[in-house]
Amino acid sequence: MNEERKVIKYDALVIGGGIAGGEAALNLANTGYKVLLVEKDRSLGGKMILLSKVFPTLDCSACITTPKVSEIARHQNITIFTESEVSDIVKKSENNFTAQITKKPRYVRVEDCTACQLCEKACPVSVRDEYQFGLIGRKAAFIPFSIANPKAAAIDIENCTLCGACEKVCPTHCIDFTMETEYYELHTKTVILATGFNLFDPLEIPRYGYGQYKNVITSMQMEREIAPTRPFNTILRPGDGKVPDKIAYVLCTGSRDATVGNPICSQICCMYSIKQAQLLMGALPMADVTIYYINIRSFGKGFEEFYQQAKGMGVNFVKGKIGKINEKEDGNLILTYEDINEGVVKEAEHDMVVLSVGAKSNPTNGKMFGQEKLKLDPFNFIAQDDLQGNPSKTNINGVFVAGTASAPMDIPDSILSAGSASSEAISYLIQHQEA
Amino acid sequence: MKERIGVYICHCGGNISDYVDVEKVRLAVENDEGVALARTTVFACSDSNQNDMVDDIKKYNLDGVIVASCSPKLHLVTFRNVTERGDLNKYTYVHTNIREQASWAHSDDKTGATEKAIRLVKAAIAKSRYAEPLYPNQFEAEKTIAVIGAGISGMKAAASLSDKNTNVILIEKENKVGGHVATWDSLIMSDEKGSELTNRIYTDLQKRKNVTILTNSEVISSKGSIGDFTLKIRKKAQQIGDPIETAEFKVGSVVVATGFDSYTPKEGEFGFSSYQNVITLPDFKHLIDSSSGKQLEYQGKKINNIAYIYCVGSRQSDGENTYCSRYCCTAVIHAANQAKKKFKNIYNFHFNRGIRTYGKQELLYAESLQQGDIYLQSFEDAPPQVYAENGKTKVKIKDILTKDKELEVEADLIVLVTGMVPRSDSSIGTILKLPKGRDKFFNEIHMKLRPVETVIDGITIAGTCQGPKNIMESVNSALSAAAKSYSYISKGILETEPIVANVDTDLCTWCEKCVEACPFDAIIQKEINGKLIAEINNSVCKGCGMCTPVCPPDAINLINYSSEEIMSMIDALA
Amino acid sequence: MAIANKKTAKILVFSTEKISDPAIDMAGLLKLHYPPTVYTITIPCSSGIKPSWILHAYEKEFDGVFIAADGSDCVFGETCTEKTGNVVSVTHNKMKETDIDPARLRMAAICSVCSESFVKQIRSFNDYLIKTLHA
Repeated sequence: MNEERKVIKYDALVIGGGIAGGEAALNLANTGYKVLLVEKDRSLGGKMILLSKVFPTLDCSACITTPKVSEIARHQNITIFTESEVSDIVKKSENNFTAQITKKPRYVRVEDCTACQLCEKACPVSVRDEYQFGLIGRKAAFIPFSIANPKAAAIDIENCTLCGACEKVCPTHCIDFTMETEYYELHTKTVILATGFNLFDPLEIPRYGYGQYKNVITSMQMEREIAPTRPFNTILRPGDGKVPDKIAYVLCTGSRDATVGNPICSQICCMYSIKQAQLLMGALPMADVTIYYINIRSFGKGFEEFYQQAKGMGVNFVKGKIGKINEKEDGNLILTYEDINEGVVKEAEHDMVVLSVGAKSNPTNGKMFGQEKLKLDPFNFIAQDDLQGNPSKTNINGVFVAGTASAPMDIPDSILSAGSASSEAISYLIQHQEA
Repeated sequence: MKERIGVYICHCGGNISDYVDVEKVRLAVENDEGVALARTTVFACSDSNQNDMVDDIKKYNLDGVIVASCSPKLHLVTFRNVTERGDLNKYTYVHTNIREQASWAHSDDKTGATEKAIRLVKAAIAKSRYAEPLYPNQFEAEKTIAVIGAGISGMKAAASLSDKNTNVILIEKENKVGGHVATWDSLIMSDEKGSELTNRIYTDLQKRKNVTILTNSEVISSKGSIGDFTLKIRKKAQQIGDPIETAEFKVGSVVVATGFDSYTPKEGEFGFSSYQNVITLPDFKHLIDSSSGKQLEYQGKKINNIAYIYCVGSRQSDGENTYCSRYCCTAVIHAANQAKKKFKNIYNFHFNRGIRTYGKQELLYAESLQQGDIYLQSFEDAPPQVYAENGKTKVKIKDILTKDKELEVEADLIVLVTGMVPRSDSSIGTILKLPKGRDKFFNEIHMKLRPVETVIDGITIAGTCQGPKNIMESVNSALSAAAKSYSYISKGILETEPIVANVDTDLCTWCEKCVEACPFDAIIQKEINGKLIAEINNSVCKGCGMCTPVCPPDAINLINYSSEEIMSMIDALA
Repeated sequence: MAIANKKTAKILVFSTEKISDPAIDMAGLLKLHYPPTVYTITIPCSSGIKPSWILHAYEKEFDGVFIAADGSDCVFGETCTEKTGNVVSVTHNKMKETDIDPARLRMAAICSVCSESFVKQIRSFNDYLIKTLHA
């Protein structure tokens, strides 16, 4: 690597700008430490900013996330790098880490962009919108989503045809195709890993027909359909735009399933499915919602009550594992399942199927460190070296883990875990202060 | 009175302007008394508009700002900060909600929604005329923090605060530290025993100069507020005849980590106290830990078949214990696995209501199934029954797998899988005035935004006193609470909200009605020129306003919510 | 009377910042409609409402006043319910003295997610006010 590396210095490096990383960065910054927050995506907020409402209180997710995200963005002790990645973290000694950071060009000067969307209208390229999980398309010059932070356009250079249409219409001339990748060498005293989780890819279970049957969607796609910033102004099935009235949820899609290499429980799917079911009952009063489950795991504060409330609202709960899904000509789906309560194999017809996909580890977890390797658990989550005594400690002293980077967990647990990691990081910084 | 108010009416990118004619609203208010400028904006909260507002405040010398947009829960703080960036006092900012309470609520009636929005903005202008600059109360904070409860959560919180160079007083009611965890042997997903874990932390704590550990000690009263609490602590007499000592400590913040009680079954509940071989989960853990040899015995009898009845005292259809206790499924499966490893011929029968071994704990359940443990699940309306026949105790169940057939298991030992309940001694909650949730555990302010803070500023909650948790979750919560408590005092200077009650000293007759109404003991007697009057302790007052309607001469008003302001708003809405 | 020929009643709602106002916000978010002549003034706690404010609203020709009380969820403690009740009964007595129908003041505990209950209460209050004040 011969490129020019700019040397930068911060007290703490936080990797991941989701709710856990954001919380950890804020705690450190509020205590007076200078924090570099590195996010690989174009916006802060992680998965939570894309959710509809959150269980068991049914608060609007964006309403919790956006004020936090703007507090992070405005904090004088926090510097944010979006579209950036960290590699080669090396511990030189206690309180002394180096890391290499690659910041990709956005091709838009964020400080000048007013998010007027004229570039979006002018851009002739249409591609799959990853922020709406493929439900609709987006342009190659685009604002990631309406509550993104930074709220500024970005150029998707992979799909851009370099036609220049966006540049011509931009009223503030903030589009700049000459921007280049920037390389930094970071010196920092402590590191917090808040790299989050990945959603299970249901293509790994072909018998559920995801990707083949249009009316089989993932729970994250449903999340977008019911979010306030949703792509369509109603709930509809992608196959033909019909408003569904018989919706099925398939729990444990990719969790508790050794055949796809993930025997553990993802901890969140039961509850988010119950939440979506409640929201659907509110939005589509005539619809039937059925949840096919193995065990309902409503274990957190107020969760059991939330589950009972869903039963009271008329959500159907069927104890049974789905064997396979077949599509009818009219786009409806036939689910074959073993009804455990009755001990027989049954079939049921639904007009839309939601796969409640589980939480998998982030594959980049093991790849960020040079020299001393970060220890991972058998599922590639970051190993907690002293699980009961110091849950946020990793095998490297001075490197802490926050949120779902160590295991699946819900939002309240992620925030507590981030509180724990930042608390340990503050202690570490105080204990290793230069005399 | 404000004379140069700036009014901003937000389109919210169509969320408002699709139903409310924002330009009509602007025209209706721009010539109102005190309004210096009225603008519409597509997104009031966008960075560009925020910057425009800052420029306007300076350029037009505004003395008050109003934004009519979404709910104040979302952006009140945002715009208060904008006001400050314009060098105005943030309390001169007034927010009004024309989205949730106008455009969305009345999306079926555009004329009605617009008319309502106009009146709401006029009411905001009326309020804005009174919105004077306010300044937070500032004072120096005590640098010591008290931690109540020396279980795993309390000890970890104390260690974490000590690491942050903070003096800690760790207060424990019992004569030893470690709480429940110290009494447990083998722990889930760890090679360490419970007592080893708590000893490890305790030994470390003992070495620290800035930690004072008080066992046999109880908090008996608390005075003051954030930054300046005075806790009175009573040390129990060790021996009869010893004097009871009390001492006072001044602390800046308090971490409450008082833990849980194990549920005690009622007499006859699943045969509890009717049959001597019906025991609780903690009893069973102790039995496994303390027994040796190859044959497990209980009260001299050989134990081979063990029946576990789940959710005893949890997930009840009515009463307070409707919640799931979270840790018990995993704890009992772990204990059953241990029993099977340690003793010969153990057969485990789990009478459950759906197993909740969430996350990686699922592996323990998988291990148990692999070892051949039998799982029987009851229907929700038909719990298993415990009875005796020919001197044998049996458990009968209608299992959902076998539907109509009733199954029975002859059990040598019946383990009631008891959950967590709030401490029966809740005196600490009363002393510190901590609110409880429906489940009677202490309540956080907001599960996601402020999970370890309570409505009493300066008091945080850690571990299972907030709700059931396993050890790892308790420790995360304890470290979070420690960081939060530390953040209150770390800067040395504390600020409290200036929105407090205010007494008109001319009108007050010291009748003490307000003192009775105040839930926070914030009102004290004061003498001015020989006249007794009520005075508000600004650092204790929470600004609820409970004292205001009970005052016979109408001498008390809440700042920002005075009768003048409210009545002028009513006039504007009328 | 000013009430004549009105389709909807004019109602002043007192809501509370942390508990009932979020529910009223959520009613809007869920597009649960209620009459647009319902106006909300938000205060910290329902037990801090002065009877004089309510009486002032009737003077200003509001048809009804609705207190969206904190109930047992109040962040300032459990005495809120009793104290809000006292405010209502004191006001009721004053209304009787001045010949105002006490039913023109209503109170209900509205929790932070009680949007549907709020809208139901307001609609029925509106119906009552239209029927009695219109006749």
